[in-house]
Amino acid sequence: MPVIDRTQINEEIKALKAQYGQDRSALLPILQSFQEKYGYLPDIIMQETAHALGIHPVEVEGVASFYSFFRRKEPQGKYVLRLCKTISCDLAGKEKVARQLENELGIKFGETTKDKLFTLEYTNCLGMCDQGPALMVNDRLFAHVTPDKVPQIIADCRRGFIKSEFPKVVPSDVKKEGPILSHNLKAGDGLKSALNLSRSAVINLVRESGLKGRGGAGFPTAVKWQLAGAAQSDKKYVVCNADEGEPGTFKDRYLLYHHTDVMFDGMTIAAYAIGATQGFIYLRGEYLYMKKYLEETIEKRRAANLLGNNILGKEGFNFDIQIRLGAGAYVCGEETALIESLEGYRGEPRNRPPFPVDTGFQKHPTIVNNVETFIDAALICAKGAKWFNEHGTEKSSGTKLFSVSGDCERPGIYELPFGITIAQLLKEVGGENAKAVQIGGASGKCVARQDFDRTIAFEDISSGGSIITFGPDTDMLKVAINFMEFFVEESCGQCTPCRDGNPKLLEGLKLLERGRCSMTYLNELMRLGETIQLASKCGLGQSSPNAFLSILANFKSEILGRVPEKE
Amino acid sequence: MPKILIVDDDQDFVSAVAIVLESAGYQVATAYSRDTGMQIFNQENPDVVVLDVMMQEPDDGFVMAQDLKKIRPEVPILMLTSVGQVTGMDFDKDEDLVPVEVFEQKPIMPGRLLERIRELLNK
Ligand SMILES: Cc1cc2nc3c(=O)[nH]c(=O)nc-3n(C[C@H](O)[C@H](O)[C@H](O)COP(=O)(O)O)c2cc1C
Ligand code: SF4
Repeated sequence: MPVIDRTQINEEIKALKAQYGQDRSALLPILQSFQEKYGYLPDIIMQETAHALGIHPVEVEGVASFYSFFRRKEPQGKYVLRLCKTISCDLAGKEKVARQLENELGIKFGETTKDKLFTLEYTNCLGMCDQGPALMVNDRLFAHVTPDKVPQIIADCRRGFIKSEFPKVVPSDVKKEGPILSHNLKAGDGLKSALNLSRSAVINLVRESGLKGRGGAGFPTAVKWQLAGAAQSDKKYVVCNADEGEPGTFKDRYLLYHHTDVMFDGMTIAAYAIGATQGFIYLRGEYLYMKKYLEETIEKRRAANLLGNNILGKEGFNFDIQIRLGAGAYVCGEETALIESLEGYRGEPRNRPPFPVDTGFQKHPTIVNNVETFIDAALICAKGAKWFNEHGTEKSSGTKLFSVSGDCERPGIYELPFGITIAQLLKEVGGENAKAVQIGGASGKCVARQDFDRTIAFEDISSGGSIITFGPDTDMLKVAINFMEFFVEESCGQCTPCRDGNPKLLEGLKLLERGRCSMTYLNELMRLGETIQLASKCGLGQSSPNAFLSILANFKSEILGRVPEKE
Repeated sequence: MPKILIVDDDQDFVSAVAIVLESAGYQVATAYSRDTGMQIFNQENPDVVVLDVMMQEPDDGFVMAQDLKKIRPEVPILMLTSVGQVTGMDFDKDEDLVPVEVFEQKPIMPGRLLERIRELLNK
């Protein structure tokens, strides 16, 4: 580990501020850089950073303690091994891999080896759900990890982590393409079409297409753009939400790498429409390996005048994009928490109103859209609204990318029209014998067989794209526990129902597991779940009891009829 | 007498404005949504449109203003909004995205409303 020298730290902070900004918004990138270099954030680094940014050291400490990728006490090992514990990797056999890792390294999860070479940690969804169990070693991802692969991975690290031997990007498994994925557009095609139109005409085209946000909430994209466009400000921002933390979602990982230019076109079109000059991609920390590639693409686009000043000869249209990394907090996918994080604060969701379209990044109008939304918008500009909305339903136009994992024959990425029934989808992926399907990830809904004729659409069961199938032998109580553990860990803790209610639900599930939960208490917990849905401040708390409630509603007899495990 | 079209999803507000305008001698047409507003605009050929921002969709007023200007750009639009107070949003005129002649905050005093309408008609 390098020696920590105050003068050198200050030089480094100065350079990082020059790159990321002179204000507090440079805080996360500064801490990330030191974390990578020293393996932890000793007090002296936090103090000097606070001093350089003109904030109190407690503020820096508060931020560092919020994000799971920062360590404040002892340094982590040279290699940090993060094993995904989310449901799909769990179903794929993560437990055996975990035991093998512990045996091989002689440490438990949460510990570091004495030689400071390895730290072993669990992590939530790595976005590799169709290829689990997934393991991340520093910035490298390993798919389909089995216990017998573990010794080789560790041996490779011991002999110096010869990077070239590790795949840079794990191949994605696209099982079905539709109009979006088979677009055949080149860099700048969508943008050129958009720049031939007025700003209002671009927004009207998006409105005509009926495009609704692909991040899950389904807010009409044109409305968001129109409001931000109409807002008065000298600065406006476009943010791409590439936080993709919803368990079971991995389509943005694929899109970012394989449809990069169309995504950048979409962001640039949005900037033109609303009048923004600066864009950010908020890339989840788990996708660090993609940062360099994205930066290279940005550089190429600058050289081709697809970014920069007077883009494609359009007088006065100036726009550029920076990449900011998340640091392992699921809640930062929520758009106001994301903005807080970009500003260098703890990722705690804001009260709304005011809305980001008017009061977003540093109080300026800001639009936040999902990766897929930007891609759809760029394609709509190139190919027209009708091309887009001849698929899907009236209220949910277009096709959607689904990330399919769990017990099915053909997990992977599928492009399918909105309005497809769950039964049709299961047939497509070879999961006809599923006893339940989780739609929309941990915050979504668990749908049982009797409802397989329902459709996936904003007007019926909506989804940001995560589909996890559960085979006939799945223990649904274990599934519910896995999801509740996720929410207990990921709650930002700002509001009581979510912070204190979710642990109660988890406790109840553990009682059920031991056969120690009375019907009366169970009914009380279900009421508590409904209260959490109603009284929480952001979408995390509002949806955290969904899985609990829908699994208990659909599988009550299976759960209550369990033979309790011996203590 | 000139004809004024009022489009707002707040029915009480529409009646109140209608009374003020009628007692000042104007003819009044009303609509409570963007769609009916467009229909009535085409039937009634108003001389001024008084338009709200947030109706069924939060941006309906902006969209309607753009559509009106495509049909008859010479008809002036007075945009009235309480959006700022409710949401903290700060909107103003914009030739392309908010093509209106006057932007006013709700609540508006009857005297000021009439003065604005008179100014628009005299332009
Ligand atoms: C807890 C939580 C996590 C979220 N995570 C993501 C995410 O990873 N990616 C995303 O695009 N949207 C996510 N969202 C939704 C965003 O808040 C926001 O609605 C979305 O980025 C808007 O983009 P869209 O309109 O293009 O979908 C999340 C919401 C909540 C409440
Ligand atoms: S609902 Fe949960 S995650 Fe959202 S603000 Fe409240 S405590 Fe934080």
